[in-house]
Amino acid sequence: MKHLRSLLPLLVAIAALLCIFTWWVPQGRFLTPANLMDLAQQISVNAILAFGLTLVILIGGIDLSVGAMVALAGVVCVSVLNLAGPLGGLTAGLAAALLLGLINGCCAARTRMPPFIITLATMLIARGMALGFNESRPLPIAEDQTWLLALGNSRLGGWLPLPVIVMLWVFAISTVLLHRTRFGQHLYAIGGNREAARFTGIAIARHEVAVYAICGLCAGLAGLIHASQLYSAEPAAGQGFELNAIAAVVVGGTSFSGGIGALPGTLLGAIIIGILDKGLNQAGVHFSLQYIVKGLVILGAVYLDVRRRKE
Amino acid sequence: MSDTRQPPKNLLELRGIHKCFGGVIALADVSLDLRAGEIHALLGENGAGKSTLINILGGIHRPDAGIIRMAGRDVRIGSVAEADQLGIRLIHQELALAPNLSIAENLFLGREPTRFGLLDRRKLVADAQRLRDELGLPELGDVQARVGGLNVARRQIVEIARALAQQVRILILDEPTASLSEAESEALFEKLRQLRSQGVGIIYISHRLEEISRLADRITVLRDGRSIGTQNAADLDMRQLITWMVGRELKEHYPRPPHQPGEVALSVRGLHAPGVHGVSFDLHCGEVLGLAGLVGAGRSELARVLAGVVAAKSGEIAVAGHPVKLDCPAAARAAGIALVPEDRKRDGLVMTQTVGFNLALPWTRLWAPGWMPDFPRRDAIVGRAMTDFSIKASGPDVAIGTLSGGNQQKVVVGKWMEKPPRILILDEPTRGVDVGAREEIFELIGRLVTRRMAVLLISSDLPEVMNLSHRLALYRDGQILRLGQADEFTPEQVMSELTRQPKIS
Repeated sequence: MKHLRSLLPLLVAIAALLCIFTWWVPQGRFLTPANLMDLAQQISVNAILAFGLTLVILIGGIDLSVGAMVALAGVVCVSVLNLAGPLGGLTAGLAAALLLGLINGCCAARTRMPPFIITLATMLIARGMALGFNESRPLPIAEDQTWLLALGNSRLGGWLPLPVIVMLWVFAISTVLLHRTRFGQHLYAIGGNREAARFTGIAIARHEVAVYAICGLCAGLAGLIHASQLYSAEPAAGQGFELNAIAAVVVGGTSFSGGIGALPGTLLGAIIIGILDKGLNQAGVHFSLQYIVKGLVILGAVYLDVRRRKE
Repeated sequence: MSDTRQPPKNLLELRGIHKCFGGVIALADVSLDLRAGEIHALLGENGAGKSTLINILGGIHRPDAGIIRMAGRDVRIGSVAEADQLGIRLIHQELALAPNLSIAENLFLGREPTRFGLLDRRKLVADAQRLRDELGLPELGDVQARVGGLNVARRQIVEIARALAQQVRILILDEPTASLSEAESEALFEKLRQLRSQGVGIIYISHRLEEISRLADRITVLRDGRSIGTQNAADLDMRQLITWMVGRELKEHYPRPPHQPGEVALSVRGLHAPGVHGVSFDLHCGEVLGLAGLVGAGRSELARVLAGVVAAKSGEIAVAGHPVKLDCPAAARAAGIALVPEDRKRDGLVMTQTVGFNLALPWTRLWAPGWMPDFPRRDAIVGRAMTDFSIKASGPDVAIGTLSGGNQQKVVVGKWMEKPPRILILDEPTRGVDVGAREEIFELIGRLVTRRMAVLLISSDLPEVMNLSHRLALYRDGQILRLGQADEFTPEQVMSELTRQPKIS
């Protein structure tokens, strides 16, 4: 139940934000079932990115390339779609992101280059590759590609967005992976004391490669959903997504130095970031101010977390 | 372990093990036998090669040459996992635990129980509790407590429990009692004797001769990366052991500067700090006071308090008769105290920079008082230090990392000398320094003392500290055991004092 206790401040924050925006957004347009479903749908892409990033940050790494991977997965998917059908397209999109994740992981595990620099470089490379498609113009998804369009837009029973289901599904799998397998246990050990993990005989390199690959796969999936929601794959999509996902991870209580954190926290972190984005927007706050508010919230959340941990 | 009922004579044989680290010889032709059902103590001063040897056995380092034989078969220990498979368990001196995980999780790290591929947390906790009860280690307490919140002694117990959790044929312990109380040590010894009777071969590293004489069956001494000799504990000759350990004293001689003690430079009374438990002494101008103690005795802690890096809890410090409050390094420097730290690469030098940068760094107020640096002045400071301390480098703009250990050390000392401090604290000044440069550092100390500087020399190299100091303080467990003229001590006396089992716990 110590898990619940560490999540409590986040739940309180969510409740408080919901109250604030219910009061702030005019005409009661905020706290309606339809609006909340929209909110959930908008959160799902960021949350899926954040789940993958949580694993990376947990072992003391970082991945800046996920935003560019979102764009790359989208354009690869739609391009292949037109040649090889829906299954080929989905596979190719995911494979592109997975491959980049593997490259990130191999560089991080086999060389002494810092992950920040590695993924800064692969971010540029992935972005360049995405912009190379279709002369950097958006690739529209044909209307007969019902599968792909459904991924981002259809609603089960007319109300529950499919991307939310996909997001919860990724959450469930990654939670089991992190909290209920030896693999996950070893990630905590690597993040907490790399030397200790090495001395115990844990194959650190293999774990590291796997973690970046999983992060890439998450980014690929998020990319497909994002393209579907836009009805087109845009080579310039996903700019700054990595920062929003990192914000969700750290607001969710994952320590940036590794070893501490959990996926439920990241989910709540993504919800907080999502509520802020949507709420401020609907309340009519100027976008310049939205950035500032979000920055202050992140600063405050991480400060509280650091202080709580010291006690 | 069932196959050890008829044990082969030697469980483990090492023959001619060599190991170099970047040209520095750590082990040269080490041979060692370990029998099943034996506790074999490994003795030696710091840097004798004990840690390298056990890291080879644990699969962390690979030997450059030599043979490792287990139960008569040649083996290669290429990784930690391979050592694990051979049943070799290593308990490190630096605790290798993940602080963010619980005791139970640490105990089974790397081989967590699973069910249908999933982690079985309930079984993990139950197994940990059973292990605790089976091993008779109630000290472990709540197995779900986080390791980061435990004190060092309890972490040590977690480490030991982890090693014993699996089938073990060879158990290697590196100074396991360094942070244990007497009762805890006794419980550990009981456990080790029990394992011995089950046929486990145990390699036990310790500085404490008394402890070893009670526990070990055989004792091997390492010195300067060589195995010097092996004795049966039954016919133990303490003098012989100490001579083996100290040995080097016989062939080297260090010049001691003339002793002309002046007024008291530094006076410490009842000093308490983390790792320092009630220290009092006087240090005079123009003398070397040696602080002889083993690693972990709290010597560096004392040095850090005097340098203002760590705050004292209580006690009085006076410099030249005036009480001072050393709550930050700047305060210590203002009082005229300079520290040459133990780990010069971490605490003493900016390794990414040049010789000149490092020598000029303490004096930015002199050469860059405003916003325009006075580079000629800087170069003059650097040039003076380089000639004064005969630092061998092709120029001030050479990267500090390209210098030899001895010359790096001269930079660490020389950087304080533009305005010489009143008191110089040297913490292991000759560590990692070759013999020639050693002599130069000794000569340098002599020169500073004739200039009326007060020197506090901390060293675990016994011949060095005994020959160089005018007065000697024996230091253990954060306290001065004895203080007197250096001539009053013999090396054997000092060694046996320092290695005796602590009476208090």
